[in-house]
Order: sequence, then structure tokens, then C-alpha cells
Amino acid sequence: MASERDTVLTQMVEVITSTVSFGERLSNLVHLLGRYLKVDLALYFALDKTKETLKLEISSAGAVPPHLRVEFPSGEGLVGEVAQTRKPKVVYRHQEGVRAANAALEKLHPSFYTLAAFPVADDNYLYGVLLLVDKAERAFTSTERHMVYLATLMLAGTVRQAILQEDAKKRIAELSVLFEVGKALSSTMELDELLERVVSTTAKVINARGAALQIVDRVTGEVRVSSQYGQIPTTEIYPGLAEAPQRLLTAEVPYLEGQTTDSEGQVHYHLIVPLVFKGSLQGTLCVFDKLTPNGTYQEFDPENRQLLFTMAGLIVNSLENALTYQQVETLAERNERMVRNLTALQEISRAMLTTVQEERLLEIILQGIVQEQGLGFDRGVVLRVDEAEQVLKGVKGARRPEGAAPVPLSEALLQPLSNELPVSDWRIPLRPDMGPLPLAVLQMRPYHVHQREPEALAAGPYDAQEFFVVPLVVKDRVTGVIVVDNQASSRPLEAEPLHALQMLATQAALALENARLYSTIEANNRELMLIRERMLESDRLAALSSLASGMAHEIRNPLVAIGGFARRIAKLVEKDSPLRGYVEVIQEEVSRLEKLLREILDFTGENLSYFGDHDLEQLIEDTLILVQRDLEANNIKVVKELTKLPRIHCDDRQIKQVFYNLFQNARQAMPHGGTLTIKTYPLEKEDGLYAAIAVADTGGGIPLEVLHNIFSPFFSTKDYGTGLGLSIAQRIVSRHYGQIEVKNELGKGATFIVTLPIAKYCLLKDADRGRAMASALNVPTGGRR
Amino acid sequence: MKKVLVADDEMSIRLLYSEELKEEGYEVYLASNGKEALEIVEKVPVDLVILDIKMPEMDGIEALRQIKERRPDLPVLLSTAYGEYKQDFATWASDEYLVKSSDLEDLRAAVKRYLKD
Repeated sequence: MASERDTVLTQMVEVITSTVSFGERLSNLVHLLGRYLKVDLALYFALDKTKETLKLEISSAGAVPPHLRVEFPSGEGLVGEVAQTRKPKVVYRHQEGVRAANAALEKLHPSFYTLAAFPVADDNYLYGVLLLVDKAERAFTSTERHMVYLATLMLAGTVRQAILQEDAKKRIAELSVLFEVGKALSSTMELDELLERVVSTTAKVINARGAALQIVDRVTGEVRVSSQYGQIPTTEIYPGLAEAPQRLLTAEVPYLEGQTTDSEGQVHYHLIVPLVFKGSLQGTLCVFDKLTPNGTYQEFDPENRQLLFTMAGLIVNSLENALTYQQVETLAERNERMVRNLTALQEISRAMLTTVQEERLLEIILQGIVQEQGLGFDRGVVLRVDEAEQVLKGVKGARRPEGAAPVPLSEALLQPLSNELPVSDWRIPLRPDMGPLPLAVLQMRPYHVHQREPEALAAGPYDAQEFFVVPLVVKDRVTGVIVVDNQASSRPLEAEPLHALQMLATQAALALENARLYSTIEANNRELMLIRERMLESDRLAALSSLASGMAHEIRNPLVAIGGFARRIAKLVEKDSPLRGYVEVIQEEVSRLEKLLREILDFTGENLSYFGDHDLEQLIEDTLILVQRDLEANNIKVVKELTKLPRIHCDDRQIKQVFYNLFQNARQAMPHGGTLTIKTYPLEKEDGLYAAIAVADTGGGIPLEVLHNIFSPFFSTKDYGTGLGLSIAQRIVSRHYGQIEVKNELGKGATFIVTLPIAKYCLLKDADRGRAMASALNVPTGGRR
Repeated sequence: MKKVLVADDEMSIRLLYSEELKEEGYEVYLASNGKEALEIVEKVPVDLVILDIKMPEMDGIEALRQIKERRPDLPVLLSTAYGEYKQDFATWASDEYLVKSSDLEDLRAAVKRYLKD
């Protein structure tokens, strides 16, 4: 007996240390034990941990066919009971309840009598239950029990080893999957391709029928499937897929797991884990229908879940990386664009510094706006504010050159505009209802117009869908606007070039204003030079004239006396007297001298003046240039309503003096700003046609108590000035046979009206005046320059 | 007989004019400046005055103004060596502006025009 036991033990040890498969080792052990104990059946029930049931796995009768499969839930029947108590137990059929509790066993052994169950366990875990079945009544000796105990220990050891081995295999498989995925993540693979691969690998590792990556759109909040693999359920089968992120968010569960049944009764399983990225939910990773080896579906286990979480983590990481990379790229691109724009701005401002001519400046500005190497807009237009007319006037516009080979900006800026836009007839009233262009002026801020509102269409010639208008501001005054668009290429207007444009506008406004001031100064200079030349010349002539005329006059009186008396003598001398010839010689010589005198006096300027035919409008404009700065400084607006009139015969210097005095007078009447209105019109008087010039101010009018004195010399209401202004004006106008009068409106302003004869008509009408005028107007041609 | 007053600081001119006018049949009064001329106008009902412009004490323009103040209807002729006073509108009050010449035809014609009847 002892030797038989030793033999069996030896065989058992041989079995468990053999290299055959785990199942075979287990089966051999069970067989050996059954044979040694001479029982009808030896059965091994394995514990299924997840379901807490014990399933027949090995029978000493051989392979278990499907119809003989037996299960005991934990706690039920002898097998279930021993699994719970972990203590061996022997029962007999006739004992109460035994047959009912173990009825399932009758499939295997219809006439069993003895049932002996032993737990297969080590110190920590129960792996299963060993059940010995016999048709006879059997008691087990202590030796037999000990033998069974050893066998259960060996079984437990073998099972534990198998489990560990299985675990290790799984771990290795998982690790290699993770290694593969990790390798992919750190490669230069495109993000989409990478996500695709992660999803497919996940499905393959878990052995799921399908897998999907859902991403929540940041802007719209919509959920969309970004990558998928295999079969993912239709909304019919699993309607909750799109709501999964929301449910994960609101239900505050770490994951979603469950099953649904389709219309054909097929059960589907799903497992969904969240993708949490920067503290917020960005999407989900889902797997569907885990496949069993024979192609049916089963639910996912905790290990699958763990793997899914790991994969989700990897996806989040790679998304994060991709996003960071994208941000860095965007930043770099923006920097590059900014540097480009700044370089362009620098080039443009350098070019602007090379000129003070407005025309040239406009060309540089517009080239800078439309050149590819500059700010690169499709179109640019500069408009100027006309304060007198209260409109925005088109000054110059340009379109981006088409098909031209790109030229370096510094060169392009030196070239004239190759494709100018005709904008000179653009006139947009400066009213808030006239659209964004006047608004930019009135509110002194840029406008980015995206879509044309219908009411803005009335605002004139600007027809782009999207455009940007920036005011040109100098010292808190808007002098004009620049408008740009990208209509031709339908590109959107981006922030960087618009920002650069605003910087350009600041410089452009200053440069244009400088050019304007420069041209005013130039015009003033020219005028001053002219005046100086004339003064010098007149000084020279005056000196010559005063010398010559002084002498001539001294000579004239005695000549008149000599000549006069010679004539008297001639009358008294008889015809045939020789004296007569002598007297005639005296008379002739005196006449010759007198003629010479007249010529000298004519030339030296008995009538030394600058009478000529002059254009009234030109005289007004010339004078305005002289007072322009003063008027601007006093914030006075000039309104001109000039009618085309025939030329006036006058001394242009003197008439300019009249205008100058009247303009200055008006200015001094409006120390806090106002409007200076200059009107010219023809006026029919009794004695002929006159040109009338009305100079009106809004200075409140002249107080009645001083009104009658205003033309008196040395009369002034001001603390400064000579008080001669109006009296000189009156004197000059009188010399031109004109009149000066004042129309006074108390509380409103004063209007000075100068009327000057339009020469031809006056000469023809009135004989007396005409004669007087003729002497003044018929300046000898020799004396006029 | 019509009375003509001649005011001129040049003795030779006074003499020439007076000879000429007497010959034409006028009674001639003479003054050597504006002041004397005014005194004569106040005493004698002269019919016409011929004034030189540049004279000491009181010039012809001032004399013209004062004469016209007293007797606006009295014809006053300016006879001067200077042409440029024609520009000065103070001389417009005169009835005639004559530049002196040894040919006295202009003067005679003017006097005759004003003293027709």
C-alpha cells in the first residue's frame, strides 16, 4: 500500500513538473487521484472570479461534452458550499437535501451515492473545488484524505502558476502594444494618422469589433467622430454615442459601460472612457463588442478598461503635443509676419522722409499699401477731408499690380504707380449717415466693415464686401482717411497688416500735413520774394524819379515863362522883322524842351503804379495764402463763392492790400473761430457794371456807437494795430473809382462790400467819369512793365 | 468885366498869365500863395480862380478845398507843373486839371469855357 502511495505521489510530482500544457497537467493529476482512490468520478470545478460560479473543467471520465457541463453558483450544492467554507466535506445521497442540492450531478453520474468535496486553495486564494463521486457508500481513511490534501495543494500550485504565466503573457503583450504605440507617438507621423493607428491598435489589442475616437468641437460644442476602426454601432443600436461626453461630464462617472440589444435581439457591448485634456473634457475613446474566439460578442473586463484608459492618456498626450506644436508654429508665423510688416513700415517711412511733395508722398504710401512686399492689400485709397465743403474727396488710389514680377519694396516705392484707381470724383458728404468712411472721420477711429449694410450703400463708391478704413489724424484733427480691401483676391483682412496699416496711417498723416505746410510756406515765400523784388524795383525807380522829377519841375516853370513870353513877343513883332525868326527859334526850342520834359516825367512815373488787367479770383487767392495760417490758428473756416468775372483794371498790389486788410479785420472780429465768407458777383449800377466783393464774418457785427467811425483814420476798437486798415482800404478803393460799404447785422456779423468798376463798361457809359477814369486807366505803355 | 484870380508863387508865371488874360479882356487879380488867394476871394467877387499847387504858406490843394467850402460854384482850375497830383483825389474837386505849358491855348480855352457869358 505504502509503495502504491509512493508511486502515485512520484507520478503526481512528475506530472506537475512536466512541460506539457497546463490543462493536461491538471487533467493528469485529477486522473491519477481518481485511479488511486478507486472512485467512479473525480471532477475539478474551477472558480470563475468575475461571476462567482464554479464550473466543471476536468473530469476523470475524459473530455466534458457541452451537454454535460455543470455549474454551481458559490454557496449552492456541495461544490458551492465547500468553495465558500474552504473545508472538505463528505455527504451521502440519502442525507436530507443532498440529492436536491446536487441534482445537476445526475447528468454525470445518475446513481451517485457518495460525494466528497475538497477545496483547491493556497494560503490566499481559492482556485476551485475537487469533487469525488462514487455509487457506493465510501468513507475515506486518513491516509486517503492526506493524499487528497496533497493532490489539492498540487492542483492549487499548478493553477496559480498557470494564472501567473497567463498574466505575465498578457503584460508582455500589453507592453509590446504600448511600446509600439509609444514609438508611433514620438514619430513624425501626422496627428490624424497617429490617432487612427492608436484607435486601431486599441481595438486589436482588446479584440473589439469596433473602436472610435470622438472629439468635441471647441467652437460649436458638437461631437464628431475623428477616427474609427472596424464596426462602430449605428445610432439605432447605440443612440447614446454622441451624448456620451455630456453624460460623462454630468454623471460624474469615470467611464461608461453597458449593453444594448438591437432589433434582431443581438446584444452589443460598449465601453467608453473620457479624454480629459487641460482639465476639460475633449472627447471620448470607445470600444464596441469584444469578440470571443468563436466570434460571439462578450462584455469588456477590467483589464480592457485599464488598457482603454492608458490609450486615452496617450491620445491626450499626443493631442497636447500637437496643439502645442501648432501654437508654436502659429506664433512663429505671426512673428515672421510682424517682422515683415515692421520691415515694410520702416522702408515706407524711410521713403516718405525723402520727399515733401504731396504727390510723391501719396505714391509712396499707396505703393506701400498694395505692394506684395509691403502691406500687401489688394486696393488702397486715400481721401482728404475738405473742411470748407464738408466732404471727403478722393485723392489717389491704387490697385495691386497684376502679374508683375515681385520687386523689392525699396525699389517699388521709388516707382510711380502703375495701376492707379480713378478716385478724383469721389465725394462723400461728412455726415454720420453716409457710412463708415465719414464715420471714421467724425468719430476719429478706424472701422472694420465686414458686410455692407443696405443703408451704407448710399455712402458712395466703396463697393467691397469687407474693407478697413483708418483716419489720418494730426494733432487731434482728422485730415483724411485711408481705405483698404482684399476684394480682388477675396482674402480676409487679417489683424497684422491692419495693425501695420494703422501705424502707417499715423506716419502718413504727419508726412502729408508737413507737405501741405511746406507748400504753404513755399507759396508764401514766392509771394514775399515777388513783393520784395517789386519793392526793390519801385525803390530804385522812385529814387530816380524823385531826382528827375524834382529837376524837371524846377525847369518847367521857367520854360513856361520863357516860352509864353516868346509867344507874346512873336505877336508884337512885325512880319518882316528879322526879330521874328529869332523869336520863333526860342518858341521851337522851348517846345522841344517841354516835350522832352513830358517824356522824362512820364517815364519816371508821374503815374508810377502797377495798373493792369487782373483776375479778381487770383487776387483773392493770393491774399488768402498770406492770411491762411492766421485763419487756421483762429479756427476760422473759409467759404468761397466766387463768380467768374471779367478782369479788373487795377493796381494789383493795392487791391491785395484792401483784401488783406478786410480779411485781417474779419479774423480779428472772430477771436474764437467762425466762418469767413468771400463772395464775388457782378453788380449793375447807374453808371455801369461793377465787380462786387463781399467779405463777411460771423463776429457778431460792429457796435452801433462806433459804426460811423470805422473808416476814419486812426480809429480802432482794438488794443493793437494802427487803426488805418479800413481807411487805407477805403482810400485805395476810391482811387480805383470804386466804393466800399459795410452791412452790419448786430449779433451776427459784418459784411464789407467792395465794388470796383469793370473798366470797359464804365468808360463807355458816363462821359465825365469816363474821362477821369481814362486818365487813370490809360497808363502810358512805356511806364508799365 | 469878368474877374479872374491867378495864384502862383512864380513871379514870371503870374506876369505871363495876367498879360494873357488881360489881353482876353478879363480883370486879373494876382496872389503869390494860397493864403493871399483866399483873402482876395473873400474881398472880391471873382468869377474864376487859377491855382498853382506847389506854393509856400498854403498850397493849391488846401486853397481849393477852402474856396470850394466858401463858394462851391466858383470854378477853380488847377495849373501845375506836376502831373502826379491827378492821382490824389483831393484834386478832383477842381473843375479842371491843367499841366503847365508854354502854349497857353489849353488855359485860354478852359477859362473861356467857364466864363462863356
